[in-house]
Amino acid sequence: MIEAQHLTKRYGKTVAVDDASFAVRPGRVTGFLGPNGAGKSTTMRMILGLDTPSSGSVLVNGKPYRELTDPLRSVGALLDAKAIVGGRSAASHLAWLADSNGIARSRVTEVLELVGLSDVAGQRVGTFSLGMNQRLGIAAALLGDPETVMFDEPINGLDPDGILWIRNLMKSLATQGRTVFLSSHLMSEMAQTADHLLVIARGRIIADASTDEFVSRNSTPCVRVRALQPADLAAALTRRGAAVERCPDGAMIVTGLDSAAIGGAASAHDITLFELATHGASLEEAFFELTRDETDYHAGQLAGLSQGA
Amino acid sequence: MSATAYPSAPARATVISRTLKAEWTKLRTLPSTWRTAALTLALGVGFGVAVAFSEVSQWHTMTAQQRQVFDPTSASMSGVMIAAVVLGALAVRTVTAEYSTGMIRSTFGAMPARRLVLAAKAATAAAFAFPVTLLGNVAGFELGQRIFAGQHAAVTIGHPGVVQAMVFGAVAVSLVAVIGVGIGGLIRHTAGAATILSLIIVGGLTVGQFLPAGWRQYMPGIATQAAVTVHRSAGLLRPGTALVVLAVYAAIALGAAAMRVAHRDA
Repeated sequence: MIEAQHLTKRYGKTVAVDDASFAVRPGRVTGFLGPNGAGKSTTMRMILGLDTPSSGSVLVNGKPYRELTDPLRSVGALLDAKAIVGGRSAASHLAWLADSNGIARSRVTEVLELVGLSDVAGQRVGTFSLGMNQRLGIAAALLGDPETVMFDEPINGLDPDGILWIRNLMKSLATQGRTVFLSSHLMSEMAQTADHLLVIARGRIIADASTDEFVSRNSTPCVRVRALQPADLAAALTRRGAAVERCPDGAMIVTGLDSAAIGGAASAHDITLFELATHGASLEEAFFELTRDETDYHAGQLAGLSQGA
Repeated sequence: MSATAYPSAPARATVISRTLKAEWTKLRTLPSTWRTAALTLALGVGFGVAVAFSEVSQWHTMTAQQRQVFDPTSASMSGVMIAAVVLGALAVRTVTAEYSTGMIRSTFGAMPARRLVLAAKAATAAAFAFPVTLLGNVAGFELGQRIFAGQHAAVTIGHPGVVQAMVFGAVAVSLVAVIGVGIGGLIRHTAGAATILSLIIVGGLTVGQFLPAGWRQYMPGIATQAAVTVHRSAGLLRPGTALVVLAVYAAIALGAAAMRVAHRDA
């Protein structure tokens, strides 16, 4: 459980995180989505007590991070997989982390096994690929068997197998009842992994909603339809209030009516349909819709969204 | 895993011992630590032997009075200066390597008591420097005395003050290591911090020439030299005083670094 109250971080005149209030709850994967430079990493550093907020506060499991005893047993975090002194072996890197929080050394072997690095446990970290470093970082995060895990852009540098592995790991951690907080600027990844979304842009939390809800609120689904009598269908749909866009291949993209209404209209006019397909809105579309106009999200339009949780 | 049962608060002593253990694990699992120790011994003993040969070669030009104040113990342990520079730089790197890679965030994430982390780094660096320097002092002394034996200027390890000089030299280098951790915490960049430390140690031999003799003896490098003396010599502090002076520098450097590290964003 992570709870932020009016969390703000200023660097001189730049506001990196602007009055962010949110809760990251256990039992689900919460995605922290925003473009690069939106304030995701700064927020995560403040959660971990590494950066001091200019104002506001953030609690992890009910306490400021720096007051946690044996913090690795409460929170496991991966911020930057490459931020590691390269001269030590993977096992040695985990060994000092274990020592620092009174974690048994046997756990080092377990987490190395879990992330698939057992074979290179004795190898210098400096020789690792980015993907191997990500796995080591995840091993470090899981070392203390923490209730809350936090990963900053964990799929960077991973191959498709690794991405699938991380996705399944996040989901299984959430299923076990843990709080899983995951940042990414990749929307397709978020759409597949996150149950809940926290969207940040220019330091402000602009949405806090379930992934499905976020997508449906911020994008318009459309229906692709092909008919034997396209002109008649277009006229009928337009009369019913739909917007119809003709495609060069003869199909039409209809917005404002769902597939059932379109089918009904076609039936009423004896129009023969040979294609009727709903195109679900994508997270990407929703995100661009939401962030298209900077002034929009200062206005009341999104007020409903930020209460989504 | 249990979402509600958090481990009970460990006692302060437990936190301290875990922090020390973690920092010691870090230090000993870096292969470069052991290479640095080997380098310190090779260069330090080599330098001591070179100084011993140089003294012997000038023996015939020395006056009776010069021969009388000649200190075969400190001459054979000239390697403490090398140890101070090399092991001091090692101590610097225990801090700066983490800042330059960003691993300091993992460190402070695992151990949020930052001043304690810095103190543990200082303690482990000092604890490592002590036996390495002591070993170098003993080796330098034994080799040096064989060289001085030709001039009948050698002393034995049982000679008054010799063991003290060996130990004080090791303590002096341990204190320089603490200064190194402090400078590392203040500067945070390896090259800059290591350069500053070297200047502080070796600077006494160069810049120090231009200082009044009364000031020069308080420079860290000169104080380190004084720590291994048996004979009282002009321009050098008494060995015990030299250690006190170094301890004051160490306290200032570490204290300033602790204040800075505790309050800055990591």
